[in-house]
Amino acid sequence: MNRFLDWLDDRSGIRGLVKEALYEKVPGGARWRYVWGSCLTFAFFTQVVTGTLLWMSYSPSAQTAWESVYFIQYQVWGGWFLRGVHHYMAQAMIVLLVLHLMQVMIDGAYKAPRELNFWFGIALMGVTLALSLTGYLLPWDQKGFWATAVATNLIAEVPLIGPILQKIVVGGVEYGHQTITRFFALHAGILPAALIGLVVGHIYLFRKHGIHVKEPRPKRDSYFWPDQILKDGVACLAVMLAVVILTLYFKGAPLGPPADPSNEFPARPEWYFLFLFQLLKYVPAFWGAVIIPLALGLLIFIQPFLGESRKGHQFNIGFWWCLLAGAAGLTFLAFSEDQANSNHGAAVREADWQAERVVQIAQEEGIPPAGAVTLLRKDHENRGRRIFAAHCSSCHRYNGHDGRGYSVEDDPSAPELAGFASQEWLTKLLNYEHFTSLEYFGGTAFKDGTMAKKVLKKFDKEEQKLLPEVALLLSDLAELPYQEALSEEKKERLMDIFYDDLACIDCHDIDSEGEGSAPDLTGYGSRKWMIEFIINPEHERFYGKKNDRMPSFGRDKKLSAEEIEIVVDWIRLRPGG
Amino acid sequence: MKEANIKKESAETAKKCCSEDSRRKFIVVSTVTVSAACGLFPLASGITTVFDPVKKSSGKQEKIPWTKVAPLQNLSEDGKPAKFEVILEQVKDAWTTYKNVPVGAVYLARKGDEVEAFNLKCPHLGCAVDFRSKSNDYFCPCHNSTFGIDGSVSDADSPSPRGLDTMDTKVEDGDIWIRFQQFRPNIAEKIPLS
Repeated sequence: MNRFLDWLDDRSGIRGLVKEALYEKVPGGARWRYVWGSCLTFAFFTQVVTGTLLWMSYSPSAQTAWESVYFIQYQVWGGWFLRGVHHYMAQAMIVLLVLHLMQVMIDGAYKAPRELNFWFGIALMGVTLALSLTGYLLPWDQKGFWATAVATNLIAEVPLIGPILQKIVVGGVEYGHQTITRFFALHAGILPAALIGLVVGHIYLFRKHGIHVKEPRPKRDSYFWPDQILKDGVACLAVMLAVVILTLYFKGAPLGPPADPSNEFPARPEWYFLFLFQLLKYVPAFWGAVIIPLALGLLIFIQPFLGESRKGHQFNIGFWWCLLAGAAGLTFLAFSEDQANSNHGAAVREADWQAERVVQIAQEEGIPPAGAVTLLRKDHENRGRRIFAAHCSSCHRYNGHDGRGYSVEDDPSAPELAGFASQEWLTKLLNYEHFTSLEYFGGTAFKDGTMAKKVLKKFDKEEQKLLPEVALLLSDLAELPYQEALSEEKKERLMDIFYDDLACIDCHDIDSEGEGSAPDLTGYGSRKWMIEFIINPEHERFYGKKNDRMPSFGRDKKLSAEEIEIVVDWIRLRPGG
Repeated sequence: MKEANIKKESAETAKKCCSEDSRRKFIVVSTVTVSAACGLFPLASGITTVFDPVKKSSGKQEKIPWTKVAPLQNLSEDGKPAKFEVILEQVKDAWTTYKNVPVGAVYLARKGDEVEAFNLKCPHLGCAVDFRSKSNDYFCPCHNSTFGIDGSVSDADSPSPRGLDTMDTKVEDGDIWIRFQQFRPNIAEKIPLS
């Protein structure tokens, strides 16, 4: 072994190199405040290795990016853990960056003769942020897609060359294959290469000038090896532990529903860019994207010179504290505004629902070559919610919301439809109080109609006891997938109530030829009945001329036959509540 | 008296230096351990993904589905073979599921009431084999392996270590169905790829 090392050393001078690397003098002894640079190096090393491993299963294109990330997350052995480590280490890097920067500022390590290295550090910060930004587009999910669109639109604010620059970065006008391939080349090629180059310069300059010692020196001088390395290593272990805990706790990195420009999504960047997002609510995009960054950049550039005087140094430290506090404040505002906005919460829950749904379909049916986004676009459950929200929810509600979970400002002007035609829904309908409330017909002309005023209101106690029985009978006609069918015997008994005890038949037909003055209840609430009703509620079988504002969706071609079927199936799918 | 003092002093120095030594040893060992843990962590956190294909194929053989190839009437009654494309209803390639994809081809020939199927691929190194009607045999244009009409190696100079690969077939309602498979090339044994 020794002979081999002698041989190697003779040819390469490796012993000298190792010695120089390890026996760097640490004046004043090893200290915890020096660990941040090493932690950042460790974090970057982790990103290079885990990124390369992810690369082995990732495919950058609009039809395969989400799909291959889904594959990594749900099918590849240990893929979710790998993604999680890459995702949370990226966030840890941002935190470490701030810690490193603040340590350098407070200790005054940015001043002469270390100005150049300070600029290297600032450039490294820029590259790291660019890596984060390009990274979260790559899964091509809704979050990455919508949030990055905001960022690339800001590029257009650059004077003169902005629009051209934007086209170059996006690879065209719209997001597509070329956007992913370009972002991937930036994220896995250009930016890491730039980062490595800058890190080499950063470390070279650091070695050239040595550690900047914060006085007073606590101990006598020691060396990088092993005292400082042990402290660095323990700090790296702590970072590693934090990342592993986050990964396990959140079961890896999140994966939203596949990117879809026709499916709105509340665009929010990752938390460390939220302050910029919030800032753009107060200042014009040009200020946010160009003037403020430029002014700050210039100020940061001259900080080493400002720091020469005592006051200047204090100003510098104050400046960074203010910047941090400002960013923290804006981040807090962004969070609390979203928290207070119920529609934002609904939008997030909607996206979560879609993400879960698309994974479920992908696991059952596989993903077609056209991509996973087509699975959601074709999915009847997803479409049912959306059709209801777009066409029904301005009058009706579904469990009080618009079908997707969004609240609606106006009062409902037509009945609640969750659990439509179920026994529970009908029992409430047949109660005068409920019938005339906003949950049912309170917002319509039927509130003062015959059924309300002359029938439901007039029932005596004994008759009222029979109403749930009628509800049961009618709900049986609906043949709901979640409700058990009645026996013939029971049905006949209930029919007697309908005909004789309560004489509903006087106005409503069931399986009879006559034409009652009120809606025909033959097959009431069944798939066929609902479809025909939605096609034309003004048909004589239904409301006829008494129809109060319910559009004839089929007759007037407001919805296609397929859309009507989808929304009917969706309403019938599950009970209310 | 003086001597004793010196002895005592040197013993104390020795003790001090030993504890200093063991302290240093402890620091070095923990530094190496901690550094190694940090150095190995990134690779360890994802190396399983690299071996995923090996894990998925090991052991369990997926069920080979029956695939309809052609109507029986398309085969000549005298047992002369003909080439057919095999189109699988569903093929899963990592994250994409394809429908109705051509995945290969077979030679089919009647053998009494039944049908015999040969994979088009030469068992030597995977070139496509031709049927030569003149000499009534199969011939591989790459390395000149020759196979008889029954699929066995018919020329001692053929480099192929085994005859053409057969597959399960059945005839149902006038249609020929096969269970299409690929096999490991260039070994005497016929082992399905999985």
